[in-house]
Amino acid sequence: MLPFKLVRKNLLRRPLRATLTVLSLTVAIFLICFLRTLITTLTAGVEHADSRRLAAMSSTGLFVELPLSYQQKIDAVEGVERTTKFQWFGGYYRSMKGFFAQFAIDGEAMFAMYPECEVSPEQQASFLHTRNGCIVGDALAADSKFDFKLGQTIQINSPLHPTPGNQAWDFVVCGIYHSKSPNFDNRTLFFHWEYFEETLKGEGHPPGVGVYAIRVKPDADIPAVIANVKGLFENGPQRVDCNTEAEFQRQFVTMFGNLPLFVGWIGTGVLIAIFLACVNTMIMSMREQLSEIGILKSLGFTDRSMFGLLIAQSFTLCCVGGALGLLLAWSTQRGVENLLGTSFPGYRILPATFALAAVIAMLLGLFTGLAPAWRVAKLRCVEALRSVD
Amino acid sequence: MTSPIVSVHNLTKSYSRGGETMRVLDGLNLQMDEGDFIALMGPSGSGKTTLLNMVGGLDRPDQGDIDVAGDPIAEMSGAELAHWRARTVGFVFQGFNLIPVLTALENVELPLKLTKLSGKERREHAKYALQLVGLTDRMHHRPSQLSGGQEQRVAIARAVVTDPKLILADEPTGDLDRTSASQVLDLLAKLNTELKKTILMVTHDPHAAERARTIVHLDKGQLGRIERNAPAPAAARI
Repeated sequence: MLPFKLVRKNLLRRPLRATLTVLSLTVAIFLICFLRTLITTLTAGVEHADSRRLAAMSSTGLFVELPLSYQQKIDAVEGVERTTKFQWFGGYYRSMKGFFAQFAIDGEAMFAMYPECEVSPEQQASFLHTRNGCIVGDALAADSKFDFKLGQTIQINSPLHPTPGNQAWDFVVCGIYHSKSPNFDNRTLFFHWEYFEETLKGEGHPPGVGVYAIRVKPDADIPAVIANVKGLFENGPQRVDCNTEAEFQRQFVTMFGNLPLFVGWIGTGVLIAIFLACVNTMIMSMREQLSEIGILKSLGFTDRSMFGLLIAQSFTLCCVGGALGLLLAWSTQRGVENLLGTSFPGYRILPATFALAAVIAMLLGLFTGLAPAWRVAKLRCVEALRSVD
Repeated sequence: MTSPIVSVHNLTKSYSRGGETMRVLDGLNLQMDEGDFIALMGPSGSGKTTLLNMVGGLDRPDQGDIDVAGDPIAEMSGAELAHWRARTVGFVFQGFNLIPVLTALENVELPLKLTKLSGKERREHAKYALQLVGLTDRMHHRPSQLSGGQEQRVAIARAVVTDPKLILADEPTGDLDRTSASQVLDLLAKLNTELKKTILMVTHDPHAAERARTIVHLDKGQLGRIERNAPAPAAARI
């Protein structure tokens, strides 16, 4: 039987040390949640990609434009149901600090191909009928840095696509969309291709297309469609790389290098550091309690219960730190999302991440107490008592 | 005729220190009857504490048999020995050995956690034991808030709270002033005479030893002279 009162009182024997260890654990578990969420956010697009959607871009790279004329040719490929185009706008609102993602799109085609982009029918109609209209994601609209409202005219400067006379682009916010799917970001602004093209044509620089999104027919042979699209432009003027949406998202993630691996290593480092810190705390705690272990053994407490006493202390310590870490991660979620802004859109800690962090905290509790617990269990009663003298 | 509660036969124990083996107990025989109060005396290194630890099941002999309250403890496993200690022996140490983070009441209650008593019953038993040693008014104090004499009385209360058959005291007055030592010895004598507890006490102090019924001298791991202070229920026998 375990003297549970002793577990609590022993933990509070050195309040400063206990507090510092708990705080270290809190930070570590918060970091585990944060780092894991960076990975899940990055890979969410891959996991939730639509299996019927393909993406075609220049085989040179994402920032090399494809000719507008390609769309008609892709539409004619067997198995293709519909296509739409995206062009990266690369603008900012007010100052460079007001950077976020903007794309020029075909409104009707995009709504048809991306049903996860939910916007009310009234707002959708308003957008489609307003030449310089735009829709913004609800997370972007809610961001205190922007605070976009329906009907508001916003001005965006785009160094990539300057207007004739280098004036800012005017957009009217016609709709605020929301996507439940992590592969469609809620921090983006979409505006009409016609407005984009006509404005730039005036300058004599008709725009190209960054990415063609392709939806295949339900019974289409996807590898054949991909091969045919690639084959169409084998001889230029721009060769095309065509992939499934999942593969495209995967390639997009790897543009930053192997970020999941890098973040994973940092997480492992955090875990090892906190593990060693907790083991150190438990060994110090065990040394202070050696004589008392001897007393308890002389009173009739078994080796096994003394093992349990030490494990219960480390487990309690790690669970308290872990719980506070989870609470911190949960409560700062919105703040972290705003802080990360467009770098990691859709930052949301998944229940599986919370569960993983909780399990890690519990395992830390068990394993950090193992060595000291084993030592006190094996310690002979007289040896432990002798440490008094 | 009272029955022997402690029976030690041909007890041998050696320790290795710095590559050298020292024989602390050398074929020692001792029998102690129920209700007896024996003081073990002898020079440092004579094996007094080692013998006490063996009888209390805190240490194991190299050779020999130990029967306490009818149980052959030398043959018991670690867990069996722990359970046996909980129900058979109460310890009083020189350094008081209280748990510093617990109050006097919680310290006394500790051995009762190994019994089937309810929380309320445990508390009542612990309060009664503290009353027995005259420390009811100090029950919620921690060891650091008590004097040495009071700490040792709490340790005695903890030793008797489970109503053990045998009380083993290792230099119980070693760290105390004369007045506190006298109070502790009075208490041990009271436990022996009124509650009929069998007590084996290790001491260097001749005044403390005088309070026992029998004084047994140990020298170089063997039993020496035996003195009887008062008519004992039964004498220690070799």
